[in-house]
Amino acid sequence: MIEVKNFRKSFGSKEVHKGITFSVKKGECMGLIGGSGVGKSVILRSLIGLEKPDSGEILIDGEEITRYKENDLVEIRKKVAYVFQGGALFDSMTVYENLAYPLREHTNKTEAEIKKMISDQLGEFGLPKAETLYPANLSGGMQKRVGLARALMMQPKWILYDEPTAGLDPYNTRKIQEHILKLKATGITSILVTHDMPTAFAVCDKMSFILDGKIAFEGSLNEIQHDKSGIVKKFIDGEG
Amino acid sequence: MIHALIASTPLYLFIIEILKFFGGIGVLTLQLIRDTIKGKIYWKLVMEQVFQVGNRSLPLIVVTAISTGMVMSLQFGLGLEKFGGKMYVPKLVSLIVLREMGPVFTSLMVAARVGAGFASEIGSMVVTQQIDAIRALGTSPLKTIVIPRVIATFISLPLLVAIANVVSNFGALLVGYSELKLDPNFYVLKIIQTVTLMDYFSGFLKSFVFALCIAIPSCYFGLTVKNGTKEVGMATTKAVVVSSILVLVGNFFLSKLFWIVERLT
Repeated sequence: MIEVKNFRKSFGSKEVHKGITFSVKKGECMGLIGGSGVGKSVILRSLIGLEKPDSGEILIDGEEITRYKENDLVEIRKKVAYVFQGGALFDSMTVYENLAYPLREHTNKTEAEIKKMISDQLGEFGLPKAETLYPANLSGGMQKRVGLARALMMQPKWILYDEPTAGLDPYNTRKIQEHILKLKATGITSILVTHDMPTAFAVCDKMSFILDGKIAFEGSLNEIQHDKSGIVKKFIDGEG
Repeated sequence: MIHALIASTPLYLFIIEILKFFGGIGVLTLQLIRDTIKGKIYWKLVMEQVFQVGNRSLPLIVVTAISTGMVMSLQFGLGLEKFGGKMYVPKLVSLIVLREMGPVFTSLMVAARVGAGFASEIGSMVVTQQIDAIRALGTSPLKTIVIPRVIATFISLPLLVAIANVVSNFGALLVGYSELKLDPNFYVLKIIQTVTLMDYFSGFLKSFVFALCIAIPSCYFGLTVKNGTKEVGMATTKAVVVSSILVLVGNFFLSKLFWIVERLT
């Protein structure tokens, strides 16, 4: 379970988060939505300690991580995968080396085992011949898929998606949606930050809508559709 | 009101910038020492960087060293010839090269080439979230990015200085022979008679300190990039300027230190 309690963070004099609270149960996929600049990615980054809140608590399976130092976060980061918006692939390494990186760092697997795992993973993501390519030789969609494949190499319990479909064509968007749904079916807990509402509706169980630094609405897809206040509908319809 | 006025003055901002730099460098150096002693060192990455820092810098260092040696030989020769002292050229040039010019010029060239490379590469990795990805995968950018570069510079720079010393003296010998009509055997003999181990090591040992003066600030400026590609350019400029200043200022204090050591021994 992921719990965020009274999360507050300012950048300079601007208070971006004014007490964000939400929780995601095991096996659930939650969409974190809101306008640009409301700090969705900052919350996501804070969940693996890439950012620190000014105050508030973040609990990963009951473990409060906001006071953890970089070394203490290693174990958490092995279990929580982060899928970056642009893939964040290491551009000096091939696709194979990118995928091998977490395995070589954290496991004692032999090179033959690593090779087999990478081959299976790339096959799963429809990239069987990409092993020797460098990120610069991949399209945006392929980079995102490799980024997702790399994040999954350590078989995480939680996945945090930061705009996984941004800038993708409908084919690649559908591919990413399929992967998210497949992972969800295995019982993985996930949080999806996105502006792509069709994807959010396709994969999420519930959504939290951030407005003015707070969660303005939280509920299931059904509750969003029947929300009487209409604030989420306004956002989805592009009315503000 | 007064506080706000003071806080916006260029001098105040400059002092804050300096304090931030030394604070940041201090923290980074402590982390590097701790991680190098305690953690695993990625020797494959170190060797890759030795190739980048050492092998790739070699042509630049050879050209700089040979031209420096040739120019010094020519200028000293022309100047001293008026007083009938051109036979002192081997002594003078070899001492200056080994004690000062070899390590300083080589370090300045490495600061320009390698320091700029480190800052821009690491800065670009920050901008494209690769550093975040390293952290998100439960690994340390210090261990995989910074430490290999610092160790590689620490290994490569002294080797480059050793090569530059030989090449520079060879350049001086060439000009001594062709322009000043000095016998090459006489030239080499004079160098051997003049140069002591202390002369050699007082220059050579500096290069280890200079390696740290180049690698650590350059990596630091790369890591502190925050707001996009514009800052990558600024970080690169800062890396070259700061590491060059540290080499030049550090050279004075190290020369003074070796001078004191020599007087005591």
